[in-house]
Amino acid sequence: MYNKVTPEIVDELIEIVGNKNVIYNNFDAMEAYSHDEVAEKSYAHMPDVVVKPSSAEEISKIMKLANKYKIPVTPRGAGSGLSGGAVPVEGGIVLSVEKMNKILEIDKDNLMAVVEPGVVTNEINNVIKDDGLFYAGYPMSVETCYVGGNVAENAGGGRAVKYGVTGRYIYGLEVVTPTGEILHLGGKRMKDVTGYDLIHLMVGSEGTLGIFTKIYIKLMPLPQSKVDLLVLFKDIDTAIKIVPKIMTFGRIIPTSIEFMDDLSFKTSCKYLNEKIPFEEAGAMLLIELDGNSKAELEEQYEVIGNLCMENGAIEVYIADNATTSERIWKIRRNIAEAWKQYSPDQSLEDVVVPISEIPKFMEKVRKISEKYDVPIPCYGHAGDGNIHATPVKNPKFTMEEWLDILHHKLLPELYKEVINLGGTISGEHGIGHKRREFMSMALEPAQIEVMRAIKRALDPNYILNPGKVI
Amino acid sequence: MKIVVPIKQVPETSNVKMNPETGTMVREGVESIINPLDLYAIETAIRLKEKFGGQVIVISMGPDKALEAIKEAIAMGCDDGILLSDRKFAGSDTWATSYVIANGIKQIGDFDLVICGERATDGDTAQVGPGIASFLDLPLSTFTSEILSLNDGKIKVRRLVEGGYEEIELELPAALTVVKEISDPRLPTLRGKLKAKKMQIPVWGPQNINADEENLGLKGSPTRVVKIFTPKVTREGEKIVVKDEKTLNEAVDKIMDYLIKKEFI
Amino acid sequence: MGEVWTLAEFRHGELSSVSYELLNRGKNLSQKLDTALASVILGYDIKKEDIDELIARGADKVYVVDDKNLENFLVESYANVLIALLDEYKPDIFIAAATTTGRTLMPYVAVRKKTGLTADCTVLDIEEGTGNLLQTRPAIGGNILATIKTPNTRPQMATVRPHSMKPAIPDKNRNGEVIYKKYDESLFKTKSKYLRFIKDESQQVTVQDAKVIVAGGKGVGKEENFAIIDELAELLGGAVGASRDVVDRGWKTYPHQIGLSGKTVSPALYIAAGISGAVQHIAGMQTSENIIAINKDPDAQIFHLANLGIVGDLNEVLPLLIERIKEYKAKEASANV
Repeated sequence: MYNKVTPEIVDELIEIVGNKNVIYNNFDAMEAYSHDEVAEKSYAHMPDVVVKPSSAEEISKIMKLANKYKIPVTPRGAGSGLSGGAVPVEGGIVLSVEKMNKILEIDKDNLMAVVEPGVVTNEINNVIKDDGLFYAGYPMSVETCYVGGNVAENAGGGRAVKYGVTGRYIYGLEVVTPTGEILHLGGKRMKDVTGYDLIHLMVGSEGTLGIFTKIYIKLMPLPQSKVDLLVLFKDIDTAIKIVPKIMTFGRIIPTSIEFMDDLSFKTSCKYLNEKIPFEEAGAMLLIELDGNSKAELEEQYEVIGNLCMENGAIEVYIADNATTSERIWKIRRNIAEAWKQYSPDQSLEDVVVPISEIPKFMEKVRKISEKYDVPIPCYGHAGDGNIHATPVKNPKFTMEEWLDILHHKLLPELYKEVINLGGTISGEHGIGHKRREFMSMALEPAQIEVMRAIKRALDPNYILNPGKVI
Repeated sequence: MKIVVPIKQVPETSNVKMNPETGTMVREGVESIINPLDLYAIETAIRLKEKFGGQVIVISMGPDKALEAIKEAIAMGCDDGILLSDRKFAGSDTWATSYVIANGIKQIGDFDLVICGERATDGDTAQVGPGIASFLDLPLSTFTSEILSLNDGKIKVRRLVEGGYEEIELELPAALTVVKEISDPRLPTLRGKLKAKKMQIPVWGPQNINADEENLGLKGSPTRVVKIFTPKVTREGEKIVVKDEKTLNEAVDKIMDYLIKKEFI
Repeated sequence: MGEVWTLAEFRHGELSSVSYELLNRGKNLSQKLDTALASVILGYDIKKEDIDELIARGADKVYVVDDKNLENFLVESYANVLIALLDEYKPDIFIAAATTTGRTLMPYVAVRKKTGLTADCTVLDIEEGTGNLLQTRPAIGGNILATIKTPNTRPQMATVRPHSMKPAIPDKNRNGEVIYKKYDESLFKTKSKYLRFIKDESQQVTVQDAKVIVAGGKGVGKEENFAIIDELAELLGGAVGASRDVVDRGWKTYPHQIGLSGKTVSPALYIAAGISGAVQHIAGMQTSENIIAINKDPDAQIFHLANLGIVGDLNEVLPLLIERIKEYKAKEASANV
């Protein structure tokens, strides 16, 4: 159904973006564009050609060319995705936005940044920090990922409890549609109900509906202080019951509420040689608060800390400086690395359940874990009900056995339980092609049909990022 | 058992970035913390208290801001704190600093142990601990890595020296400087923080510690800084990227050439 | 003008080579001041050869205090004896090595003498005109250098970083005066007691003393992988260093830690494997003469410092390197037969 990329088509691409921005017939150089951060090799696929355009006009020409010859185009950011979204599963053209990496404008009067999609997310904050501003989007890969990818995936991450996810800060987009039209959606306006909300149709469309070439980002005042609480609980139930209480009784919205089950923090603490008395704990919460004055934060951590102690916490540790804060975040951040020592093959999941259902979900996970003899450490963003349940290959299985269990038994079962609890299969990593086959478990047929209709309307030739989402 | 722990507040440096132009640390907006090596002294003192009973008092010389460090130590489990703060203390070198802290400790009186960190990560002299011991005429174990026993008015310790360890025994009262090996510092708890918040930390000036004004600050410091300058250390030597078997071999060839040329093998 | 004194370190019946480095430094200063250079040696059963060696290495005088009470280092007795010597002979300058002994004894003595002491100097010089000792030392983790003097009190005291200067070359034809001193028992009274020395086999070569250091960081991956670092260090006759992360994780013990909260070292060769080069670490090793870095991350800070940088996996590079060094050594050995 698609055509192959011929040397003649490559010549036309060179015509558009210039010789040095095309990679063709070079296996080594193209290999890097064949995968993202999904560990399993089976999700990778080589492109036929890689192009690195520098403008919306060039991208428009590329899309028109691709439509003419029926060649699939897969847009790509930093390649730090976790659902295979940037992998050219049908071959064809990989369109990398790496050359479009300029911060075009910091508009302090309107608290807006206008950036190109290839800007590294953290770069934005580095530039505006001294002006007392910050961009609240905070995926865990903040030091490598591109903001274009964040918008395409509607990335979540560590600060979502208080600040929400990426989409909340996107006020305008310049988008090249699959057929090569250039749309200018929104801008620096704070309110806009003129017509359908196409911006938020594009946000989270995983590169299937358009390619962003300019992004308008809302900026916020940068909080001057932060405090972290590490709270040890005897069990998961006690830990999770605290989460709504913080908001209802405490009337406080933390920046993040991170959850770790015992399998997660015990492995991480042992790996780090951390000597806090973690052995007696069954669950941990890491709660971060931010604000402008130390005094205000002191009041807040007292409220939350006391709430925890009154509701069965074993101990509350307070970290209000870089030494202690680094020490407790290390536990959370090293879980994946610590488990890699046990087995490097893991399936990083990002399921979501209503917060109150986390204990029930954890019970189900335990059962599945026992049934297949696969450890499933669970950690993640409790404040959002977004849990990284991470099946780790038991070394006793061969790779073949493992993949069979994972894809055909374990994941379907896990997803089923999630959906039964009113949850869904992905909270921040996206569907891509890793979870595509499971989409119908989570969404009703009519919903998927509406999505298909949208896709058909924008991309009649099914050129842009085929094989993803739907 | 009464244990005094002198601590210092220092700039936090672990997250500091280097300025690639000048090769120096970017120190703007850097927060202040307890000298990381003092945490081991605090932990050691608290453990001794937990085992033998008694009281741990932290003492620090510095500006008002150093109260934060004292309160953090109390939140970890120390019982009391004293801040030595006065304009006249400013500009002290290690001699004058040792003098003030030793006089503060004399004022506390009746102590069994003085436990210091190995050195501070900013000044990096490791002279104040032994200096305090000298002023107080105390037996001293530096680079202490383990406390072996404490009884009958004596403490037996192991200290880290070149090529191994030494064991020595000191009569109490005694002074120790401790290294990281001795303990893993605990984290401050909510209970500790609440206790520290309520506590009034006394601030002592020269008159509270019977100090001779001639021995204070710049006037009391035998040393003078002549100049401070910034060394530039960037070499930016050759860099080889290993991509496959071939480049791996090339990289190892390069290392071999270097080692042979410089006569390391 | 008083003399320039250096402390000869005599431990476990042996004179440490750092004593000769100090003499090299001292010679520079005594020549500029046109005064005598003297070494002080404290201990028990001090051999005549050792005293002769100090003279051969540049000492015009050697002050010897040989007493059973000084068999092992205890700061109180050593300080008492030194103070007695300083009071009697009034040297102008007194330098010691920044070893565990020097860093303990010197501040204890400086306080009693109410004089200035500068720690861990890398450069010593004489100020034109005044004849004051100019002492330069790195501070804030080597990020700044400060030059310090002691204008009004004597002696001017300093500890000097080991290996910051080459040992003086011996000249067997030199003559020197040896002054044996005896002191009253009361001077040796201490409130401490030496019990024993326990050798640490893993510290055969200590990082402070080593000419070559092979250091591993988080990039080593796990404790077992450290065997490659150990092996390479042994092959190069060097010591094993470690980053703070590695020590925190318990893969290596604290004596191996290099950096702001560990040891500061200046070896002739520093091989950094799997070390990204956090400011903390760089502070402890940036004055090394030659630096080779191996790291997977091409943007790692350590590469800015390295004379030779390899972007690659140390677990691939080092085993091959070890193999090649062994081959080389075998070839050299057979060529020399």
